[in-house]
Amino acid sequence: MMKLLTSLLVGLTLLSTSAYAQSGPLRLEIDEGIIEPMPFAVPNFVPDGPSAAQYAQDISRVVVSDLTGTGLFREISSDAFISRVSSFEAEVQFPDWKAINAQALVTGAVNVSGKRLTVRFRVWDVFSGQELGNGLQFAGTTDGWRRMAHKVADQVYTRITGEGAYFDSRVAFVSESGPKDQRRKRLAIMDYDGANVQYLTDSAAIVLAPRFSPTGDQLLYTSYETGQPRIYVLDVGRVKRQELKTQEGTMSFSPRFSPDGRSIVYSLTQGGNTDLWKMDLASGQSVRLTNTPAIETAPSYSPDGSRIVFESDRSGTPQLYIMPANGGEATRISFGQGRYGTPVWSPRGDLIAFTKQNKGRFHIGVMRTDGSEERLLTASFLDEGPTWSPNGRVIMFTRETQGASGRSTLYSVDISGRNLRPVRTPDGGSDPSWGPLQN
Amino acid sequence: METGTKISAIAHVSLISWALFGGTFRSEPLPMAVQDVSVISAEQFAAMTAQREAPELPTDPAELQPPAEPDEIDTPDPTPEELPEPEPVTQPEPEPEPEVEPETVEISPEPELIEQPPTLEEPEPEVAALPVPPGPEAEPNPADKIAPEQVAPPPPEAKPDDIETPAVSLDEGAETQQEQQDQTALEETAPEIVTEAEEVDNPAPRTSPRPRVRPNRPAPTPEPEITETTEPAPTEPAQNEQAINDALAEALGNGTEPSGPPLTSGEKDGLRVAVSQCWNVGSLSTDALKTVVVVAFSLTRDGKVVDGSLRMVNSSGGSDASAKQAYQTARRAILRCVRDGYDLPADKYAQWKDIEITFNPERMRIK
Repeated sequence: MMKLLTSLLVGLTLLSTSAYAQSGPLRLEIDEGIIEPMPFAVPNFVPDGPSAAQYAQDISRVVVSDLTGTGLFREISSDAFISRVSSFEAEVQFPDWKAINAQALVTGAVNVSGKRLTVRFRVWDVFSGQELGNGLQFAGTTDGWRRMAHKVADQVYTRITGEGAYFDSRVAFVSESGPKDQRRKRLAIMDYDGANVQYLTDSAAIVLAPRFSPTGDQLLYTSYETGQPRIYVLDVGRVKRQELKTQEGTMSFSPRFSPDGRSIVYSLTQGGNTDLWKMDLASGQSVRLTNTPAIETAPSYSPDGSRIVFESDRSGTPQLYIMPANGGEATRISFGQGRYGTPVWSPRGDLIAFTKQNKGRFHIGVMRTDGSEERLLTASFLDEGPTWSPNGRVIMFTRETQGASGRSTLYSVDISGRNLRPVRTPDGGSDPSWGPLQN
Repeated sequence: METGTKISAIAHVSLISWALFGGTFRSEPLPMAVQDVSVISAEQFAAMTAQREAPELPTDPAELQPPAEPDEIDTPDPTPEELPEPEPVTQPEPEPEPEVEPETVEISPEPELIEQPPTLEEPEPEVAALPVPPGPEAEPNPADKIAPEQVAPPPPEAKPDDIETPAVSLDEGAETQQEQQDQTALEETAPEIVTEAEEVDNPAPRTSPRPRVRPNRPAPTPEPEITETTEPAPTEPAQNEQAINDALAEALGNGTEPSGPPLTSGEKDGLRVAVSQCWNVGSLSTDALKTVVVVAFSLTRDGKVVDGSLRMVNSSGGSDASAKQAYQTARRAILRCVRDGYDLPADKYAQWKDIEITFNPERMRIK
């Protein structure tokens, strides 16, 4: 008995001493952190002269607004700053920025000569005392100062998060004014943050669903000016439009460009039945993609152009389906409760955003392209019409409030479901289409 | 007949033996076994047997424990040997330290301004204390979700309320509704996982993550290990002296060279919690949130990061770009939370001089 116990003790001893004599570094695993906006500081960019002072301040503010608008960053007020940045070349006093817990610091300088505007900037990781990326300079005209600020913010955002940029982009939408029963709708275009709104059509006819071309220089939209829905293509730069002719006696709507911009896919109603068609823009020839007695609509290409996701009620209720880009057998991907509609393929290709109606409420949601991992991001009386930011991280959509006095507003939300916020527009807005990153 | 007699003989013998020993075995077998097992000197055995005469004292085993004290006396022998060794090492190192100090001295104002430092310090001593597990558990948890932003709690309050009422208020009013929604949006930024749609459905899940921390707490367990290592000392006089001595010599021989006693899991947890409270993955791209990085660094004796020692050892699950972002975030966590130095036992410096931390964001990921 004693022997057995002593041998056991010896075994234990050896075990513990082997751990005792561990070699190499102490190894730990951390799998739980925190999720909070990163505190950052943007001291006003340094103006090279008095004429640049206002631009320097305005650009700094837009950079801050872009970054805080993502919900991923929190600005540290300049009131808390310990050191002042009076020269772009001056050495950064990291301890001063550490002391106020600024984890990222953006310094910059603005130069104006005549109409020419130059912005230089650097991004610093304060706690490691290292620069993120290299200093960069943008040059342009003073009129385009907002775009240059967006470009600076894009760089900062990308360098810190690793996510693609999206601030220097535009959104087409339908501007809505007046009461619900007499609503005036105009096609409009704006910066992603609601600035620089331009109207592309008057309010004589109802317009719907603008859709950017892949390059951002053209818009597809649907207009009722003939009494029947018709598809038009509009040159954004020259504000000139052209009707896309479809068959006589039909209604065409819900158009969207293919990723290469050479063709469009749209819905066409003929004899009470709605199917999907594809039109080659060069030749004007259309080809039928679906042929069922059900209603097929809201088509959207995958980023590689090989597949199309669309909405169909062939199962009895509106659901989402995916089929090859040239037609063929469709696979249903939505199986949750409720009705699904307006699917839009993410520019990254990994997710599909959609509108869902369930139990009297509307949701904007995302799912994988096989229909798995469905997540609802919003919930309200009426949310619909999602569109993706160029980097596939943010979704903009329409939220309409209830009642006769209800109005439509554009909202954006991070695909994590965080940072739900309205996009400020002069009037109400609906049907947003987020364009590509500008050059 | 013979078989019958055999059977009856066996039956009788077993019956008699049961009558004789059955009762006695039941009454005292367990204490007997325990007493034999414990390693006790002859004097103690004598004391035990003497006390047996008084059957009323079942508390004898209690006296067995006192002899354990001599065991502890033996243990200090190895430790003092180890302690002096690391000390000479410290003397050369203090010289490079002054270089680090000027920076850290300037940084020192940080803790005052930052709200977090107090939360960091509290859990660590509590872990070491071991007796108070529930207290520390409750505190770090809120910190895990949203460290300083106690703003987050408001949204949970809204959830338990009827879901429909806030929704209606949002929808009905025209302009004012938008303002209300703005507020909810800002609150949502903190608790990442909960979307507007999810708020409606499940108000409860918030409590579920809490138990996660508990399994990490059982700090007490490692200490018994240390005592076990000391126990072998008493066994030496017992019997297999040679074999045991050889084993001990071999084991201790390895241990005494570079390292002191290992960190307890409580001490490791203290470091883990300290770094994780600064590991902010909120600004990471979705790709970087799929990337696991291993970051290595060295600490000075006062728990500060040695300049230039931070480096990415390894990464998996993402592109080079996302690994870079993930590393920057991990580096930021280590450098932010070091403050006046990580609180680690000085006598075990050899154990935590070099550290490798694996940052695995899987549980923080947006799916």
